[in-house]
Amino acid sequence: MNIAVLIKQVPDSTEVKINPETGTLIRAGVPSILNPYDHYALEAALELKKKHNFKVTVLSMGPPQAKAVVQLALALGADEGVLLSDMAFAGSDTWATSYALAKGIKKLGKMDIIFAGMQAIDGDTAQTGPAVAQQLGIPQVTFCEHVEVDGRRILARKQIDGGHELLEARPPVLITMIMGKDWTPKHPSFPAVHAALKKPFHVWSAADVGAEAQYLGLKGSPTQVNKIYPPPQREKAAMFNGSGQQGAEKILELLRAEHFIG
Amino acid sequence: MIEVSHKCIGCAKCVPVCPFAAINMMDRKATMNEACTLCGVCVQVCPVQAITITREEGSTRDLSGYKGVWVYVELSETGDKTHPKKIKQVAFELLSEGRKLADKLGEDLCAVLMTDKEHGYEKELGAYGADKVYLVEHEELFEYNTDIFTTVMVSLVTRHKPSVILYGATIQGRDLAPRVASTLYVGLTADCTALAIKDGLLLQSRPAFGGNIMADILAPNSRPQMATVRPNVMKMSEPVLGRSALVVRETAKLDKSLRRVKVLERKIAHDAGAVRIENADVIVSGGRGMKTKERFKRLEELSRLLGGVVGASRAAVDLGFKEKSHQVGQSGTTVSPKLYLSFGISGAVQHIVGMKSSDVIIAVNKDPNAPIFNVAKYGIVGDAHELVPKLIEALAK
Amino acid sequence: MASIDVISRNLMLDSLKEYAKRRIPYDLIRELDDKNEFPADILKEMYDPEILGVHLLMIPEEYGGVSGGTYDIYRVCEQLARIDLGIATGVFATFLGTDPLNVGGTEEQKEKWLTRIAREKLLVAYGATEPDAGSDLVNLRTRAEHVVKNGKIVGYRVTGQKQWISNGGVADLYTILALAPGGPSWFLVEKDMEGFSPNKHEDKHGIRLSNTAGLSLDNVYVPAENLIGMEEGKGLLQAQAVFGYTRLMVAAFGLGAGTEALEQAVRYSQQRIQAGTPLSEKQGYTHKLIVPTACRLEASRSYIEYTANRLDGGEHGLQTEGAIAKYTATEAGNRMAEDAIQALGGYGYTKDFPVEKIKRDVKITCIYEGTSEIMEMTIYRGRWQEHLKTRGRYYLDQADELDRLHAQVPGVGAHAAALALRSLGAIMEECRVRKLTRHQHVTFKLGRLIADAEVAACFAKAAAQQKYSETVRFDKEAWQAMARVFARETTLATAVQGLALVLGAAEQAGSLSDAVNLEAVQAEQKGNVADMDLVAAKLKQTFKAK
Repeated sequence: MNIAVLIKQVPDSTEVKINPETGTLIRAGVPSILNPYDHYALEAALELKKKHNFKVTVLSMGPPQAKAVVQLALALGADEGVLLSDMAFAGSDTWATSYALAKGIKKLGKMDIIFAGMQAIDGDTAQTGPAVAQQLGIPQVTFCEHVEVDGRRILARKQIDGGHELLEARPPVLITMIMGKDWTPKHPSFPAVHAALKKPFHVWSAADVGAEAQYLGLKGSPTQVNKIYPPPQREKAAMFNGSGQQGAEKILELLRAEHFIG
Repeated sequence: MIEVSHKCIGCAKCVPVCPFAAINMMDRKATMNEACTLCGVCVQVCPVQAITITREEGSTRDLSGYKGVWVYVELSETGDKTHPKKIKQVAFELLSEGRKLADKLGEDLCAVLMTDKEHGYEKELGAYGADKVYLVEHEELFEYNTDIFTTVMVSLVTRHKPSVILYGATIQGRDLAPRVASTLYVGLTADCTALAIKDGLLLQSRPAFGGNIMADILAPNSRPQMATVRPNVMKMSEPVLGRSALVVRETAKLDKSLRRVKVLERKIAHDAGAVRIENADVIVSGGRGMKTKERFKRLEELSRLLGGVVGASRAAVDLGFKEKSHQVGQSGTTVSPKLYLSFGISGAVQHIVGMKSSDVIIAVNKDPNAPIFNVAKYGIVGDAHELVPKLIEALAK
Repeated sequence: MASIDVISRNLMLDSLKEYAKRRIPYDLIRELDDKNEFPADILKEMYDPEILGVHLLMIPEEYGGVSGGTYDIYRVCEQLARIDLGIATGVFATFLGTDPLNVGGTEEQKEKWLTRIAREKLLVAYGATEPDAGSDLVNLRTRAEHVVKNGKIVGYRVTGQKQWISNGGVADLYTILALAPGGPSWFLVEKDMEGFSPNKHEDKHGIRLSNTAGLSLDNVYVPAENLIGMEEGKGLLQAQAVFGYTRLMVAAFGLGAGTEALEQAVRYSQQRIQAGTPLSEKQGYTHKLIVPTACRLEASRSYIEYTANRLDGGEHGLQTEGAIAKYTATEAGNRMAEDAIQALGGYGYTKDFPVEKIKRDVKITCIYEGTSEIMEMTIYRGRWQEHLKTRGRYYLDQADELDRLHAQVPGVGAHAAALALRSLGAIMEECRVRKLTRHQHVTFKLGRLIADAEVAACFAKAAAQQKYSETVRFDKEAWQAMARVFARETTLATAVQGLALVLGAAEQAGSLSDAVNLEAVQAEQKGNVADMDLVAAKLKQTFKAK
């Protein structure tokens, strides 16, 4: 089988800070990382590669510096990498992004499984995966934690409210992954990083994948950002000092006052 | 497209604020690179208004005739044979909010319900404000399936042309909504925390950047305008008993062949065992300030004493103090308990958006300037990990 | 060797950071530090090509390595130092031990040994120092006698003592400097060769996670094929050929340890409230304990990168530059660690906070690979030659260049740095005319003034660049302010200390004060407090309280 993995470079949102005076983001020194959900999805794909000898191609869309996440994926074991990069993509919302990604996948050729993280931590929309599946006209299984392949059967364990489902699909299918419990991302060794430089890597423009300008960027995006602003400030709490015993007694008093304890 | 005019004085104020590192100074003038998402933050900080974003209009679509605010009604299994399915609470929350939007627009509020067997759901839906219920009854709708539900939703939209559709940002809503939006080529905004009507458009507010900043989103040129909203974000209104909704029965042509993904097995723990954090009344939550996994564990004792469940900040989950399923916040679960007691959580916005609608928040943190105190009712400045054992001791007495 | 592309380098650094986060938490480091224990399993994992393979950086691709350049090695060394300087030293010892092979080995020797080091995760040690031979390697006592069979030299008998050898007790392979009949030469000695034994592990002030031991060689038979380069007498040249480069690694250690200490102090200063405001808001605290050395660390970073780029560009030697980089960065790192303890007050003095350990660790960087005093001498010697060769124009020409830079980019301290270089040129000329370099004190002190002035000039140039290197964590506004603060400090110190130096040594007062232009130096100090305020604020932004 041929597997594609959709990956995205995101700023490490745990490091993003707000300037309290201006309410704007402080970006200086915030590292860019591979979206953790995509990282998990990539590792799921690489597990299948190891077991079944599948070919794994990663596809990303972003500015030239997003090459870093493609290189990371190659170092972790992917066979081929593609970056869609073009000013024409700037300002794309999830619809226009998935249009471009779907075009990229079509250019890659026949894919049996397309993996993606359930969402990216900078946008948290969880829309791109399903929208790509729709653009490609293939079924989707979202929010999976584990995937196995048995011949032509693709078995996915999906998280649902209060439990899980085991789903069966046939290729081609798009699967979005949540993160496994207690999972920590793998990182490549020095020689693996070095070896990745020799793997095929391509940068494709909008024209390369046959994406039409009217469906890209702001023009192609149904949603638009009207305003960005700092989260509203609220009235400050009634403050008390207290460590150890003193603090414990204060909390007890408050819990009583609010009738949480007798 | 984004343009920097000759007015640019090369002050570089826009460079550090760009969330995407998309601005470089070239010859003392700001220049945008491919990373630009046209988000507009730079436009706001430019002291000389040198940056403009212009929107080329796409092919104009006919937007007339789109009327009505819809709420997608999700059913969940009860495990009870006589009433195997019930309406999820988020649908009532959305109807309560949708009512306000519909009134503002002067349009109908409609619930959309797909099921294999009707159970008089319209009474409840009416009580929460629905004027109409579009009811699709078909044996193929016995369980949720992406392909089948998308097909029905798309055909309903094409037939009735609503102006707004709201979905719960549940596992099902987040599977269905983007598929429908993509099919219809319309805008969809995820995880909205506030909705309003502005100049006849749906103004959708949501946290962006891991919740570090807020964004207002519009979808002016396509209909319907679609949004998902997380459970526990919108307040439920008081149900008006006896207020009933008009049931509009819709037909759908469906057959098995549409079902491309099959369910082999489903396992749901029906309220057996522990209370889940999304509907707990009391949450005792801990963050990085709990220092170690062992100390964090003591929060479980504390929560037992208070009859609650344990929550965790993203930092605590990242440090392995607690499982991801207990994470509160933008990338975890949104909660609104009666009591939220937090220990050693500084309150990144991504956490705060997930718990700020709690009734009473008591926060303990050693930094008096921690943002959590901005949403808490009571703040205690002190070392959380030292305070917890003392509190357990005192409560146990 | 050219450096690796920036993406790959950053991926390697990320992997190293993640590994350390997972596997070497502070609690473990503290325990090992307490027990004076070398973490052999961690070192072996770090050398495992499946896990990290950090030692492969030093090994060319054709022998199974990843062909790291100087810049790459600087980055990795800085990162290692931020994790633990003892572990860093363990890795560095392998780098260093591999060097004589890289520089002087024959094709066959490289093929055999570099491939083995790469594949078998060999820990290597560099055996040069002896009880009576440190930087003065000419006093070498370890001997290598010929073993002749059928009129052919088939091997050597090596006998002697080595001292303070990093990885001494734990290495698999040793490169040993010994005096052969043809002169000092490097030999490859394996740990299980008969007659070879390491002495006891030293109980050190710092870098206690690094194994340090003496070596005893008692008539050890080493086959002739283990003579590096297959030619006797090349040992000292082979050692010196890499000083520019190895000292840059130690410079990176000083920078890394210092930056870690700085970060700890800045984070702490935002949490500790005193009289209603955090320490980070108090000039009496920041402008004394944080800002000056923070600027000095960034200045040394610019100089390390400048030198690394030159080496990667194919230049050889650069001994003086390597010495300037090491001297400046390690002294700044040491100073920063000292100030960080003060900045954390009582906490800083306890082992619950890492700055106390950083302080003990970082001191070694001012000692090994040539002490700071040897650096002062090396710097003086190198530049004194230049001063004489150019008839005193060496620094004046550079000052002209900086003045031109100042005309283009005014806010980077180029003018102050130019003033410092002119003062320096005048002081050196005065020393020549009055024959003051007969005083060793004058020569060493000149070494120090030279280092500061050159680093200030380098920092000004780097801060004037359109785009900064990937390592700079500050924005332009901040880095330029740092360059200005450092240049001001330097121009003042050069002028005042240079004058004092000459006046203190000369028979009679001269007219030097005109040449150092004290008035201009004073005028240059304008705006310094405001700049320090800015730097303090930017540091706070960059190292936000966790």
